[in-house]
Amino acid sequence: MLALLFKNFIRSKGTKIGLIFLFIICFISLLIGQQFQQKQQDNIAEAAIYQKEHIARNAAFHKDEIGLLLYYIKFSLVNKTLPINSLAIGQRDVNPSIQSVTIRGLEAQKYDAELNNPNNLLSGNIDFSFVLIYLFPLLIIAFSYNLVSEEKESGTWKIVATQSKNTFLYILKLFYIRILSLIALLSIVLFIAVLFLNIPFDNSLLTFYTIAILYILFWFAVCFFIVSLQKHSNFNAVILLTIWLFFIIILPAIINTYIVNKYPIPEALELTVKQRNAYHEKWDMDKKITMDKFYSHYPQFKSYPLPNAEFSWLWYYAMQQAGDDDSAKQSQELQNKLEQRNNASQNIAQFIPTLHAQIQLNEIAKADLGNQLLFLKETKLFHEKLRLYFYPKIFDNSEVNKENWSKFKVETFNDPSEINFLKAFLPLLLFNLILIVFGWRNFKIKNI
Amino acid sequence: MKSLHTEILIAKHLKNSVFKNTAVFIITLFIGLILLYAAFSGWENYTNQNETSEKYQHESREDWLKNPDKNPHRMAHYGNFAFRKSTPLSVFEFGMEPFFGNAIFLEAHKQNTANFSEAGFSNSMLRFGEISIAMVLQILLPLLIFFLGFNAVAAERENGTLKLLLSQGISWKQLLTGKILGIASVIMLLFVPTIIVLVFIWLLLQNFSITPDETIKMSLFILFHFIYLIFFCVIAVLISASSKTSKKALISLIGIWLVFTIILPRTTQAIGAYIYEAPSKIQFQSDIEKDILKQGDSHNPNDLHYKAIKDSLLRVYKVDSVQKLPFNYSGFIMTEGEKISSKIYNQHLEKLLQVYEKQNRFSKIISFVNPYIAIKNLSMGLSNTDYDSYIDFQKQAENYRYNMAQKMNALQVKFISNKKPAPNDKPLTIDKEHWADVEEFHYEPKEIWDVLKSEIVSILSIFLWIVLLFIFIRFAVKNLKAI
Repeated sequence: MLALLFKNFIRSKGTKIGLIFLFIICFISLLIGQQFQQKQQDNIAEAAIYQKEHIARNAAFHKDEIGLLLYYIKFSLVNKTLPINSLAIGQRDVNPSIQSVTIRGLEAQKYDAELNNPNNLLSGNIDFSFVLIYLFPLLIIAFSYNLVSEEKESGTWKIVATQSKNTFLYILKLFYIRILSLIALLSIVLFIAVLFLNIPFDNSLLTFYTIAILYILFWFAVCFFIVSLQKHSNFNAVILLTIWLFFIIILPAIINTYIVNKYPIPEALELTVKQRNAYHEKWDMDKKITMDKFYSHYPQFKSYPLPNAEFSWLWYYAMQQAGDDDSAKQSQELQNKLEQRNNASQNIAQFIPTLHAQIQLNEIAKADLGNQLLFLKETKLFHEKLRLYFYPKIFDNSEVNKENWSKFKVETFNDPSEINFLKAFLPLLLFNLILIVFGWRNFKIKNI
Repeated sequence: MKSLHTEILIAKHLKNSVFKNTAVFIITLFIGLILLYAAFSGWENYTNQNETSEKYQHESREDWLKNPDKNPHRMAHYGNFAFRKSTPLSVFEFGMEPFFGNAIFLEAHKQNTANFSEAGFSNSMLRFGEISIAMVLQILLPLLIFFLGFNAVAAERENGTLKLLLSQGISWKQLLTGKILGIASVIMLLFVPTIIVLVFIWLLLQNFSITPDETIKMSLFILFHFIYLIFFCVIAVLISASSKTSKKALISLIGIWLVFTIILPRTTQAIGAYIYEAPSKIQFQSDIEKDILKQGDSHNPNDLHYKAIKDSLLRVYKVDSVQKLPFNYSGFIMTEGEKISSKIYNQHLEKLLQVYEKQNRFSKIISFVNPYIAIKNLSMGLSNTDYDSYIDFQKQAENYRYNMAQKMNALQVKFISNKKPAPNDKPLTIDKEHWADVEEFHYEPKEIWDVLKSEIVSILSIFLWIVLLFIFIRFAVKNLKAI
């Protein structure tokens, strides 16, 4: 029986076209992911070469003044890109994965944007997560909107009802075939991805796979529920597409506008205006004010008194430091706001499976806002480490040649955050369960 | 006149039957609510964004003017900001705005990036799209039209009433026109109030003092959206008339809608971006740095380019060291350096923008097969939230930056003594009244003529679509069968 139903399903022209179409788009998404991965790798390689040449060249020019040299040279920190990132590009196209900073004021450098064509950002990537979240549901709907209803409309349902003992089991079998074929497609595509994109077989991949399966099941559960209402095929199609539209566009967009308006970020502009003044006004102030601030931040440097000259690098870097220190409050506020936004969106997303799946996939791929915030924090630590290393050298005016500049390699930040399985799976599981139970009840009540 | 009477009758009949359907009623009500929400949140977003950017533009200007006497080069590093402001129409069409950087820091020697885009501050949610009036008009209403129209003719065919109608002397042309009018009249019940609210909000935002430029943009915005919606009414009726069953009509229409609004926009842009790969930031910047070094490095005392300038200056003024020149030598060198570096930067930027143009060209051309892309590009252009407007903003900011830096260099050349102060001397300064010489940055949105010029492809394709649909109707009238 099952084999026959499967043959019937797979032989239909629409099914074949749908599956092939989806497979091709999946493959395209892998190509795009591969290009993205290649670009990220090239960037990192480029950054390493660039940093080496850049430091060597500047060290040769400014060999007498280490203070002046460090005014110029930049050090890079890379936000590690996992291979699985190619499946869910997330926010990695908007946010730069490499931060290059001098030891001067950090606040003026930290938020430098990536070069981007806004048109590409607006239309979005066709990465695998897009195919999974947008297009798989459409095929699921196309495969199941007319189950039962079509047979009723064409009059064949009565034959089915008289021939099989348990019609409910028959309906389950119809769904079972469809679920199996889409999960097979998913598995094949992910298997190709593993080989093609060198994705390691680890926890992240397994979680990714599980979420994908749960997400596919969610849409089947939605269809199951709608089919259980036993309305006309046209009604089913309209209502399912409307549900899709709600989950894919309307609800996420409403929540997005809600969050943007609930947590506006004037702090960003405030910070940028503030840090400029905080540093520049020090040029016109009594040097003692700046130095006192500096010494109270870094008591260990009290042993370096201000030289008796109009300009000194000690004073200069103390001014730069003041730019950061005086705008620390605004910087912290900005960070808090962003964390609030991140938390709010994650919490609300638990009730919207599409959003939840997207955010979880991005989180697994280390491409969400949370990862970006951690990267910014790490940039601050990286910057501070460089400062503390170079400050005494600058204040001593130690010789440029004595420093081993080649040891300053590009560093890498590894996002250590772990996946919370309960948070990742539970919302989808619950949705599935509720829909299936209600659908089942509908079938029982209507006594097909 | 008699023939038009029949069509109106058909239209009225369709309208009545639509409103008997409670599902349609609910969906229409819902879209109405979404429209209200879109207007409200667009308004809030617009006022927030503009108030903030105005506030800090003003504050940073005050800060600039408050600077005491100092060396003009310090001022060039103190710098200015360009904060992006939105135009009133962007309340209805956000376009690419969330992906634009909102602030550029403008200083000497350095072209900074436009930072703090909404997208950078967002979790992936933003990528699902946004609720704006334009989105409702461009994406949701066409789908509603399809839901209303899929059984316009196909259902009559299924019930057998089509044969009756045609045998009563009603022509296909009358039938199709009547059905199109019927759907259009239902949609107008949503469209007209929306437009009234839009115009009201739009007037309010400008305190009822409107410029002719903004008025033309607004009128075109309304006109093109009207035409766009009529397109979909025509498509719905044509597909319904040529489908055997209403189910087939529905499935085809849904397919068309998906391809137009979801699949094509994304794929065409992705193909463009895939084929024409843009350089990364690090590559872009290191290329610029390399070229500047090739031209001459003003920081390198042995650089040939700058040594030649020095030698010729010494020759012309017949002196033996730069300290004896009658003007500030380092100011002169910085003027030259700024000129060279910004020229090189602009060359590289131009190349980068060409790559972007190529990426975009793909989806622009697709507007000939997809009216959604045409209207989207057009409405983004009119509301100043398209790609060209953003590039225009960045160029205006860069222009301002260059003039500011060179103004400060000129002040240095003219007023700062050429003699280097001794280590313990006070630094050389000029009077702070000069700071006001640099005017405040003011962003001028593109005018309607420029918008139309850059969106010529979209306008052409809309006209083409009008012609095409007329041809389709004529073709359908001749070839359609009752069964």
